[in-house]
Amino acid sequence: MQTLKILHMYPNMLDLYGDSGNMELISYRLKMRGYSSEITQYTIGDGTSTDFSSYDLIYLGGGADFEQQLLADDLLSCKDKILAAYKSGVFMLMICGGYQLMGQYYKDSNGEKIPGLGLFDYYTVASTNKRERCIGNIVIETEIDGRSYKVLGFENHGGMTDNVTSPFGRVLFGNGNKFGSSSEGYREKNVIATYLHGPLLSKNPVLADSIISYCLSRQTGSKVTLTPLDDELEEKCREVMLGRLLEEKK
Amino acid sequence: MFIINFFTILLGKIISGLLHLLGKNAGNLPGLVLITLRKNALKAFKIDCPIIAVTGTNGKTSVTNFIAEMFRQTGAKIITNPEGNNLDTGITSLLLNHCTMGGKVKADYLILETDESHVPVVYSKLKLETLVVLNFFRDQLDRNGEVETLILKVNKFCETFEGNLILNGDDPNVARLGLANPNNPNVKYFSVEKYKYATDTLHEAGEGRFCPRCGTALEYDYYQYSHIGRFACPKCGYGKISPYVKITGIDLEKPSFTADGEEYITAGSTIYYMYNLCAVYSAARLYGIDKKIIRKVFEEFKVNNGRMEQFEYKGSVLTLNLAKNPVGANMTVRMINECEGEKEMLFVLNDNLADGHDVSWIWDINFSIFRNVTRVVTSGRRAYDIAVRIKCSGYDAAKIVVRPDLDDAVKELFSTSGRKFAVANYTAVQPTRAALNRFLKGENADADA
Repeated sequence: MQTLKILHMYPNMLDLYGDSGNMELISYRLKMRGYSSEITQYTIGDGTSTDFSSYDLIYLGGGADFEQQLLADDLLSCKDKILAAYKSGVFMLMICGGYQLMGQYYKDSNGEKIPGLGLFDYYTVASTNKRERCIGNIVIETEIDGRSYKVLGFENHGGMTDNVTSPFGRVLFGNGNKFGSSSEGYREKNVIATYLHGPLLSKNPVLADSIISYCLSRQTGSKVTLTPLDDELEEKCREVMLGRLLEEKK
Repeated sequence: MFIINFFTILLGKIISGLLHLLGKNAGNLPGLVLITLRKNALKAFKIDCPIIAVTGTNGKTSVTNFIAEMFRQTGAKIITNPEGNNLDTGITSLLLNHCTMGGKVKADYLILETDESHVPVVYSKLKLETLVVLNFFRDQLDRNGEVETLILKVNKFCETFEGNLILNGDDPNVARLGLANPNNPNVKYFSVEKYKYATDTLHEAGEGRFCPRCGTALEYDYYQYSHIGRFACPKCGYGKISPYVKITGIDLEKPSFTADGEEYITAGSTIYYMYNLCAVYSAARLYGIDKKIIRKVFEEFKVNNGRMEQFEYKGSVLTLNLAKNPVGANMTVRMINECEGEKEMLFVLNDNLADGHDVSWIWDINFSIFRNVTRVVTSGRRAYDIAVRIKCSGYDAAKIVVRPDLDDAVKELFSTSGRKFAVANYTAVQPTRAALNRFLKGENADADA
């Protein structure tokens, strides 16, 4: 049985809005198709014994400022290994705090600057006014396997991210990288970094499958086509929310 | 100032009176108008009696009702907000309904459920005598911000507060408030002895895993539920408290507990119920309430109002419980599991302002432990989201029925007989009760039309 190896980084610190739900969802969609998943939980201090490049997917969720400060040093100590994994094509999925920490730096709401891993050019600055946050439902439009797809989610971030060279999507409803921004997140072939927190993949099964398919295909060296699942509930759920949000805007 | 206060009260009375004439609920609106017009409207009231406030993520309504009932039984005249309305606007409206034209509030005690974020707002304007803090869990993050932000708000208030501070000593997020003002001699902790189902590891999403003083990971002797348990910081010793009240001998079968050497029979039988009563007992002890009254209230008083409320239809018993955040929901799922035999569940999920628009929290509910749940009906504004959540935890999708309309959902649920449970989040709980009552009265046909 083909097994997807996932490294879930700092699950005890970066799990603010049900972010672990994404792991549960990937496992579920693999299992329904007869694949299995092996999720390794990475905690502070595991850096030296972890072979980042041996995983198919590296996942980071979002956390509060306090937790992000606590783990910053540990993350920096893994910089070279994470960089090597990213360059070798390991899929990187990063939400909110995880998104911010992979950039140049994150200046938090207390004005404290946390150095990022510097994998990408973007940087993030949070307003020192803790009330100034982009909060709410969000819909973005992106391209998945050559087709346009609406990604639905919820954003809640004080950090404003700038200097994004290749965004994840175009904002149809909500804020995105900054207040009133037209773009959201960051994307490369094997990278999705986004402010859409929590169970992002549950709301967007096509996105979940594209990540799974990428990882399985990379393992075998040839394109893996996934058997379709019964997503009736998921599709109804999208219909209700997309209808509500995009109608609301009109 | 006197003139301004007079007109503030007068205007409030007029609005409140008009609303009553129109047959509208005046729970929030008069206060909202007054505070919009005058930020310090609360200062217009003259209050001479002690104020006791209850705050925390879960259990506020129950604890407020219990404390109020204790004082009521002593014969005291109390003013309280038994159904929430716990923001500055709700409290202003409440006081408007109970004051003279001069703004004088006549009572022996004010017992006020107060939203966490509104503790500093309300009690910078009204003199607070006692603050009871129950717990801090992740809850409505989009409205409240991160839990830490909320704790810091209450902490800031505690820095200058010199009244009684009754704190849950088993919650690292709450106990830290006791450090806020080293000059306050009136800090009192309560604690609950390890109970039968306490665990060695954390079972549900918890907050506050690190010492607020030095950042070291906290160590636990045991977890009662979520991050509530006997904890301490191995580095700086934070968490080593000597409790003012410690309840022991928790017996969930009887159910009962022991405090100050005496056993008390209780009406409810979950661990968080015991924590609520521990907080109530601490307040009762502080105010010297007669043990006979404490005994009677613990044994007989029930809050109901969607908190473990029972309904019955043709021999099928349904228990409705409010669950507005992961901790509350996980507790309810545990309770459903502990009920032997087959059962069905209705889950009603809304995403209105008071619920938080973000429903991500449902992914922190552990549904994988479901035992003997033969069918799930989902309802509410986010009926499909909760259905997807339950399905992806491994539950058979064929056993999930989605009925966004509540009357349809209740009808569907009672299309079979047997044991039922209903879980509803904040704004869903009253409509769920109403739909249940409509159905039981056989009026649901009209409501559909």
